[in-house]
Amino acid sequence: MEEMILKLKQEIIEVLNLEDIKPEDIDNDAPLFGEGLGLDSIDALELIVLMEKNYGIKLQDPAKGKEIFKSINVMADYIQKNRTR
Amino acid sequence: MERRGLDYVVLNQGYVSVNGRVIEHEATGNALLTELYRNHIADWPKFFKMDTLSKAGFVASELLLKETGERRLDGEEFTSGCAIVLFGATASLCADRNYQETIRDKDNYYPSPALFVYTLPNIVTGEIAIRNHWRGETSFYVLEAPDAVQMAFHLACAFQNKTTESILAGWVDSSRNDDFQAFMTVIRREDAADTDWLAGQLKQMINILNNK
Repeated sequence: MEEMILKLKQEIIEVLNLEDIKPEDIDNDAPLFGEGLGLDSIDALELIVLMEKNYGIKLQDPAKGKEIFKSINVMADYIQKNRTR
Repeated sequence: MERRGLDYVVLNQGYVSVNGRVIEHEATGNALLTELYRNHIADWPKFFKMDTLSKAGFVASELLLKETGERRLDGEEFTSGCAIVLFGATASLCADRNYQETIRDKDNYYPSPALFVYTLPNIVTGEIAIRNHWRGETSFYVLEAPDAVQMAFHLACAFQNKTTESILAGWVDSSRNDDFQAFMTVIRREDAADTDWLAGQLKQMINILNNK
């Protein structure tokens, strides 16, 4: 799981252009939106695309993203349970 | 008494100057914009998400507004007195191409929302307005090439509304991710009242941009 969390952080940094942030700067339990990384609604859409492209997870209800993107730990857990690739 | 010229910034992939004063730099192309951001701005991480057109416009505006001491707000304060009117030739074509890459292959079809949001040229005006808490007019006109007379005409028109006190104006263009040209200036109502003088000022900036 630890390896997957690191990979996920690297993917998020790359896809969201979080230029000045390193994987170790992202707290596994901190909220990704609002405080924490301060992501916005476009970033949320990019994360949905990331999950589909890299893990084959098609999020039918974008509103579900609110729960899934709560933190890195929650997101990694969801991916682990639902990935098709 | 001779009238004082407008403050201006000129920026392309290998040259940067503020009121004719050259800003030293090491990088060129897109990396130059990042170098300028890190050395002169550094407090707006959204910069890294922008397309080249917006990065060039944003950096040019920051360098200029620091020089002029123009009204820049934050917190709960906003002003409708500051407008932004920009011109360019290629519009958002570069961002359009980047986005097209994400939808070109039907077996690898993942439209990027972050690239899509830049497929309008006026987004650059929005980025600058958001940064400075300006709620005045924002416009982006497409011209074949920088044309001082046409630009002066449109800028004078923008002062017809009574709320505009000043306009951040200029040329911003990016035809490829590594290629950009911009000049920017701040115009006040009295500057726009004499369109011949204004066109002359813009012409000087265009000449500097074309010769660098």
